[in-house]
Amino acid sequence: MPGNASGLHLDTSASDIVEIAALRGRAPDVARIALERGVQLPALGRAVAAADHLALCVRPERWLILTPPASVGASAAAWQSACVGLGAVLDLSSALSTLEFSGSQAREVLVRSCRIDLDAQAFPVGTACATIMAQVAVILVALGSGLLLLTPASTARHFHEWLLAAARPLGFEPPSQRNDAAASDDAVGCGDKPS
Amino acid sequence: MQGPARIAEGLLTDAARPLGFRFDGQRMQGVAGDTLASALLANGRRLVGRSFKYHRPRGIVTAGPEEPCALVDVIGAGGREPNHLATTLALYQDLVAESQNRWPSLGFDVMALNDRIARFIPAGFYYKTFMAPGWAWEPLYEPLIRHAAGLGRLDAIVGEHAALAETVHDHADVLVVGAGVAGLTAAHRLGASGLRVVLAEQDTVLGGGALLDARWAEWRETTCDALAGLPRVHCLARTTVLGAYGHGVFAALETLAGADAANLGRLRERLRIIRARRVIFATGAIERLIAFPGNDLPGVMLAGAALGYLRRYGVAVGRQPAFFLNTDQAYESVFALAGAGIERVGVIDVRSGSLAAERARVLGIEVHEGVVVEAVIGRGAVGGVRVANRDGSQRREFEADSLLISGGYCPATALASQLGAALKWQDAIAAFTPELAPAAGRVAGAARGVFGLAAAARNGEAAARVIGAELGHASLAAGLELALPPDAEATPIGALWEVQARGKAFVDLQNDVTAADVRLAQLEGYEHVEHMKRYTTHGMATDQGRIGGLVGSAVLAQARGLPLAEVGQPKARPYAQPVPLAALAGSEVRQHLKPKRRLPLHDWHEAAGASFVTTGLWLRPLVYSRQSGWQPVLREARAVRTSVGVTDVSTLGKIDVQGPDAAKFLDFIYANTFSTLAVGRSRYGIMLREDGMLLDDGTTSRLAQQHFLVTTTTANAAAVLEHIEFHLQAVCPQFDVLLSDVGDQWAQFAIAGPRSREVVTALVADLDLSGQAFPFMAASAATIAGVAGRVFRISFSGELAYELAVPARHGLQVWLAVLAAGRPFGIRPYGLDALNTLRIEKGHVTGAEMNGNTSADDLGFGRMLKPQADFIGRELSQRAGLHAPDRLQLVGVRPVNRKRRLRNGAHLVAAKARTVSLGYVTSSTPSTELEGWVGLALLEGGRHCRVQRLLASSPVHNEATEVEIVSPHMIDPENVRVRA
Repeated sequence: MPGNASGLHLDTSASDIVEIAALRGRAPDVARIALERGVQLPALGRAVAAADHLALCVRPERWLILTPPASVGASAAAWQSACVGLGAVLDLSSALSTLEFSGSQAREVLVRSCRIDLDAQAFPVGTACATIMAQVAVILVALGSGLLLLTPASTARHFHEWLLAAARPLGFEPPSQRNDAAASDDAVGCGDKPS
Repeated sequence: MQGPARIAEGLLTDAARPLGFRFDGQRMQGVAGDTLASALLANGRRLVGRSFKYHRPRGIVTAGPEEPCALVDVIGAGGREPNHLATTLALYQDLVAESQNRWPSLGFDVMALNDRIARFIPAGFYYKTFMAPGWAWEPLYEPLIRHAAGLGRLDAIVGEHAALAETVHDHADVLVVGAGVAGLTAAHRLGASGLRVVLAEQDTVLGGGALLDARWAEWRETTCDALAGLPRVHCLARTTVLGAYGHGVFAALETLAGADAANLGRLRERLRIIRARRVIFATGAIERLIAFPGNDLPGVMLAGAALGYLRRYGVAVGRQPAFFLNTDQAYESVFALAGAGIERVGVIDVRSGSLAAERARVLGIEVHEGVVVEAVIGRGAVGGVRVANRDGSQRREFEADSLLISGGYCPATALASQLGAALKWQDAIAAFTPELAPAAGRVAGAARGVFGLAAAARNGEAAARVIGAELGHASLAAGLELALPPDAEATPIGALWEVQARGKAFVDLQNDVTAADVRLAQLEGYEHVEHMKRYTTHGMATDQGRIGGLVGSAVLAQARGLPLAEVGQPKARPYAQPVPLAALAGSEVRQHLKPKRRLPLHDWHEAAGASFVTTGLWLRPLVYSRQSGWQPVLREARAVRTSVGVTDVSTLGKIDVQGPDAAKFLDFIYANTFSTLAVGRSRYGIMLREDGMLLDDGTTSRLAQQHFLVTTTTANAAAVLEHIEFHLQAVCPQFDVLLSDVGDQWAQFAIAGPRSREVVTALVADLDLSGQAFPFMAASAATIAGVAGRVFRISFSGELAYELAVPARHGLQVWLAVLAAGRPFGIRPYGLDALNTLRIEKGHVTGAEMNGNTSADDLGFGRMLKPQADFIGRELSQRAGLHAPDRLQLVGVRPVNRKRRLRNGAHLVAAKARTVSLGYVTSSTPSTELEGWVGLALLEGGRHCRVQRLLASSPVHNEATEVEIVSPHMIDPENVRVRA
């Protein structure tokens, strides 16, 4: 986890991510079932953090639920059986890369591409939005501990590199290449080479 | 003693910190806080450049960004950059600058001959001369013009060592442009009331006019300190607002220099995109010149600039200055220079009996009233002036080492104009002021013609009150209650634009436009101010004609016999100031220029020796070899034809479609039918654009009754998702369908070849893969090497093939399992090149054929279009033109001589009419099984002219290869293998 005197901190540990989209008129039912499962689904543009999960909403009647990594698709499967007939449940754990960016200057770095007003008053803790940064789709969530960024896995490395470059003038030390690869969830080692 | 010199400590300079620099090779010394211009003047330098057209000697004219003449090349680590303004360029140790537009030297310039032949090169000379004969353009005219054009020389270093720029997005309740007295007051009042304010000032320090008046020093310091203490106020010095774009969006350029430089590394400028709910333009006013013969000689300077150099840098621009002016405000410079101990100050006032003239006389200053300067005496620099009555009578001459002129002040209206402000003529100040619609913002202070610092402060406060009320602060927090030094009572301006006498009187110093040029434009019919501008190039130089723009309009008005109010000024557009392209590019350059999409297994492919190719944004393995040529590709492709190969097809677009209306919706999106597809089956589909042309193809699988997975081509993934989303939301809102982009969720591998079933069987335990149980185009969930995923029996290669999809996180695990399971069969990973070879032989199309100009019918999909139900593109796909027999249609091509190669893009021509293209080769490859090369082509009426022989002509390679036209399905045309 790179960080230093700049007060910036970057954490790229993975989460399980489930997307729940409600069929027409079924959002209240989905919300009720979620509540039964201990998850309060937030309104559009909001995020609710609990001890063991984070729920956020950046598209109408569609939520992302982040939980610590478990076995493949387990979280999605559980939600799917709970939401039969009410909506579509998809495992997006591999589709989105998570990146938590914290420190007093974190917003200072993000304004180098983010068009959304990230001022603490305009974008307080519990706010979520979808936007574009460094030409990449990004979902931004203001958490008490910092800013959570979700980016498509295929562009995560590109975005990560851009973020490090943008943070450099603010005194952020780029991590070594090895850390970089280890930190990136989709980066893999090279076990078996083709003959 | 003559000429400019430093006579005192300036407000911004620090005499204790000398800085050495070089100008035209000459070593000089300035001090910290200097600009290059103030340092040159302090060194007694007056000649700093040559003019654009006539190569006349030029000096420093202003003390700010409106400078027309003092442009220099700066040579540094970043190379050589032209057109730096000496008047804003902060001096630094070892700065190297050179003058522009002269050869061999600034003192002796060959092209100064142009000045002598000026009568032969009037305005519009280029338009008139370089018209005919047409053939002369390339060999003669263009090189000539190019040689003469431009100022300075660009020789910038590019690549890793180039200076960088970045973009920053700012947000504010109120953007205040300009930190003069009006802007400072407004920003403070709004900021103290809790509003979020961005205050942008182009100068290195805040204060504007308050910097030039010692009585305002305390007010300025107190106000700036108070602003610095307001957490919601963001003061940006060295920040020029370049554009006002409506909807509260503004662009500003911040120049990073001085103390910041060490921290910022190579970062040199910052483009700020500011979004504000309201704006206050407190952009001040710009002093303008007077057109009279010799008004460009080094030593002629604006009066306000002389005041600026004295107060800011302690530099007297002359020891025997003559002033030529028409307002009381301009006397501030007179009083300042006289007060600083310059004794031989003379004033030529166009008016008679002004209050300021009276005050000057009391101070013992010589004032000549009711007269004008008719000529400047001196060669190369000001030596004196010839003065006469306005009718030319009573000529007399005075000695002077500098001539400080002021024709009045023009409010800086450019930004307000960009927001649609009309310009209104004000007789009282002989200038236009902007009439900004209240919804667009407010204009305050000198920018709206309110002259005098105390008046500007009150005006800034009034603007703040109005804006504050609009933003819900009916009463603002208390101000600083500072006493405002009173403005002196002033006699009105005596408008004077031009003194007509013998010699060149310039209205645009940078583009060398004279008053005579403006009159010529009018004579030749270019009467409108916009036409005059373009004909003469008046105001089109990098300084945008700030100090002479209105003077040119006035000359035109006089020539046309119209009031100036009616003639007006040319329209101002962004950018209000030249901006380096690097600043506009910001940080999204080099490796950040555009996103790269990487496969989940990117690192594996790289380690396996793949060379990559960029398709769309994706980096895809092209071939697993660094060896060039076709051998490695054919090795990979033949593994598929003879045994088994595996390729990473994770780049395919994947869209999850669910809901009660999913099948109906897909029937509408696709040209063929999907509602009849059984669960557990896949179907090849094509979709059309609204205009009837082919958009994309791919397989769609039915995973459950109300659950489909659509795949798209790699290149069109984003466009197809957008297309489908649009039609769901805007065209079919009645459908209850949920779309989700799952492209990055799944890693997908195609395992192809006659042995592929054996490989996949070894990996999948919970699925019967026999031909009967899992036939061609079957789809099913399955556990693959222990990972929950999906198996599809689809083929792009024409061989027996399966595609395995697993969550991307587990892609590597599964990929390695595939390689292990395939090892007994000699499995090979294959890249995009081999994939292409396989599909070309098979006659499968990709973007090369589905290129936006082809219809379904052209590519042989005509019968897939469902005849009954509606779908996107149906109506227009029936256009007669799309069914014309001579349309370009898909065919296969093979060289008659099997040893010859094919080339993509080669035109198909008849041997007897080689210049008539009948079509072209879209894709080509050496074949895995057939002898020699095979290709796909689009050929006029191709479907019906098989067995014909044509030439594939590639004139750029000087090649014409005889080819036979064959069916595009060149291998296994009966499709037996995929059903094995």
